[in-house]
Amino acid sequence: MKVKINNQLVEVAEGITIMEACRLAGIHVPSLCYLKDVSQNASCGVCVVEVKGARSLLRSCITGVTEGMEIMTNSPRAMETRKVNVELLLANHPQDCLICDRNGNCELQLLTFTLGINERRFVRTRREQYTKDESSLSLVRDPEKCILCGRCVAVCSDVQNVKAIDFSGRGLKTRIATFLDAGLGHVACTNCGQCALVCPTGAITEKSCVAEVRALLQQPGKVVLVQTAPAVRVGIGEAMGMPYGSLVTGQMVAGLRRLGFTKVFDTNFAADLTIVEEANELLRRIQTGGTLPMITSCSPGWVKFIEHFYPEQLGHLSTCKSPQQMFGAVAKTYYAEKTGIDPRDIVVVSVMPCTAKKYEARRPEMDGAYLYWKERLNLTEEERFYDVDYALTTRELARMFREAGIEFTRLPEEAFDNPLGESTGAAVIFGTTGGVMEAALRTAYELYTGKKPDTIDFNAVRGLRGIREADIDLNGTILKVAVANTLKNAGLLLDQIKKGTSPYTFIEVMTCPGGCLGGGGQPIPTNEEIRERRAASIYQEDAHKMIRKSHENPEIKRIYEDFLQEPLGERSHHLLHTHYQERGFETGIILGENP
Amino acid sequence: METRTKDTVSGNIIDEIIARHRGKPGMLLTTLEEVQEQNQFKYLPGETLAEIAGKLKIPYTQVYSVATFYSYFNLKPQGKHAIVVCRGTACHTKGSKALLDDIAANLGIHRDDNDTDSSYTTPDNLFTIRTVACFGQCAQSPVVEVDGVIHSNVNSRKLQTMLHRVRGEETKKEISYATV
Repeated sequence: MKVKINNQLVEVAEGITIMEACRLAGIHVPSLCYLKDVSQNASCGVCVVEVKGARSLLRSCITGVTEGMEIMTNSPRAMETRKVNVELLLANHPQDCLICDRNGNCELQLLTFTLGINERRFVRTRREQYTKDESSLSLVRDPEKCILCGRCVAVCSDVQNVKAIDFSGRGLKTRIATFLDAGLGHVACTNCGQCALVCPTGAITEKSCVAEVRALLQQPGKVVLVQTAPAVRVGIGEAMGMPYGSLVTGQMVAGLRRLGFTKVFDTNFAADLTIVEEANELLRRIQTGGTLPMITSCSPGWVKFIEHFYPEQLGHLSTCKSPQQMFGAVAKTYYAEKTGIDPRDIVVVSVMPCTAKKYEARRPEMDGAYLYWKERLNLTEEERFYDVDYALTTRELARMFREAGIEFTRLPEEAFDNPLGESTGAAVIFGTTGGVMEAALRTAYELYTGKKPDTIDFNAVRGLRGIREADIDLNGTILKVAVANTLKNAGLLLDQIKKGTSPYTFIEVMTCPGGCLGGGGQPIPTNEEIRERRAASIYQEDAHKMIRKSHENPEIKRIYEDFLQEPLGERSHHLLHTHYQERGFETGIILGENP
Repeated sequence: METRTKDTVSGNIIDEIIARHRGKPGMLLTTLEEVQEQNQFKYLPGETLAEIAGKLKIPYTQVYSVATFYSYFNLKPQGKHAIVVCRGTACHTKGSKALLDDIAANLGIHRDDNDTDSSYTTPDNLFTIRTVACFGQCAQSPVVEVDGVIHSNVNSRKLQTMLHRVRGEETKKEISYATV
């Protein structure tokens, strides 16, 4: 089909929108509320174009192309209207860009600049002054900065099927709100942070703990250990101005050392530990008639989701703690014992691609190390400590690097400290959807068959599609597995289990699109193309690792010999496994939420 | 008067209302409307919204979204008598702003034009003042609705009489209660 865009004749496919046609033709139409694969509200009026013969300007994000259409994206009328529409949004938007979390990375700011808006012509029309919603442990909402584009609502309801927020009120009083304006911390929010990732302004951000971490780094006598999740090494480079998906493990380690962390460790070590425990748990469930399918439990948004929405199926969830929590528990017991450091002096900071990890770290049951030491050191209730003290997002780490004047791209590559920095390729792929499954299969195969598999690349579970399934041949026994990313897809698999039609034995669920590499704490923007690049880097790191199976990690072997004794053993039970709680929400509001 | 928030519509009544509308288009709107009607203070407390969401299996946020969108739904307890002043253009030019101020003064309500509250209720819970954008009765402007009846060509004196009458009825009731 032929259309004319800005007087250029272009051949376009049928059934696409004007915006898609323009972008394919290399013509940029600005947009704001539109977000590919997420939202198509057509509410902001920024993407308007002039079409010959049409009475009014058309919103290019929702209007399909037709044969012979003559489109002008930069006619005076289209440009002027676009500008006015943004100016109107600015009328109710605060003017505190300089001190905003999203300064320099704000779509509204960028639009204002690119559209050449250089004055504020319209006065504020909204009468209310909204207060920040700081009730959540993971996220902060500032409705004052909200421009009502609806992207957060779309991602929460259509991608995650959580529906924690929606438009409420009408006219000037329209705002994004939780049920009864109770606040994110008091409703069934999973803390996934996808809303923060898609917000074009600073209206939703993570609850930062940069100041607390910085203070601890200065405190004498504290041993501040940092652990980095697998997806951070393919994200942090972007936030420091490098190309999408840059693999910067070595520079990240160097940067963390320069920030002053006592030891730079790797969550990947704990990921290997998770795999050994989880593969053994799976086999035990298969052999002893336990609850199947077993579902992974590394993703804290997912864990909270099932606790809220499918509490009757909690038995399917692996009892393994997530790698972040295993790391904390091991660092404050095993590592403390090994080095003779008082566990009360150890601070564990994690860097995560995730906002839900902040909540996870504050779950009251995540105090395995404290309970371990309680009798041994006669600890009082006041001395109680969490296994993980603070969880920073990738974005927060970038902020710390910037503030410390670290020239990230010029850093040398350095290696993690030992012993909790030793890891395998199996651990790296935890950062992508399908990775935990593949890592578990690499170990489970050998545990189950006693043989080495022909290949350890389980390609069937790779990729970024929403749900993937595979039949894994364990030397004659077929293991049916499924991998889901996004909570909506996870819900589909749970519905299947509910109906009794689930054919699977083992399921991996990741909360965010693409898994952790697309997590709510990752650099902004994060979209499909960027997720693909990050995934490629993750598999690249895996391919280049000398050891690619978790159970072959020498430090993992050592921790079992010296400390844990055996997988699923007594010590593992106390330190590496957890339990879940039903979080029904009949009242719509969870009182006393937030441990 | 904290006790009044406990006056929620019972689960059985909500069940009965839902049973009549389940599966029909607009079932949420009709349910909200009828449940509010059943409430002693003509409003939808949070517990009730949650109950309706749970029973209709509609997301809580959606129920809240709908209940806050339509000015018909009250999220705060309403007075026994509702006075709705039309603030449409026609009524405005005929002085509805002055009428609104009059009523507020008469009932001892402090109203601020910059205040965005949608309704005001007297402490004795007898009267609630609300405004509406247009009743569609512009030819009779200014119009004021009292307890569901629209009064046309209202002026201050007419208004006084109406309020007086409503008050008088209330006092009579009180006396008759007292003598029983």
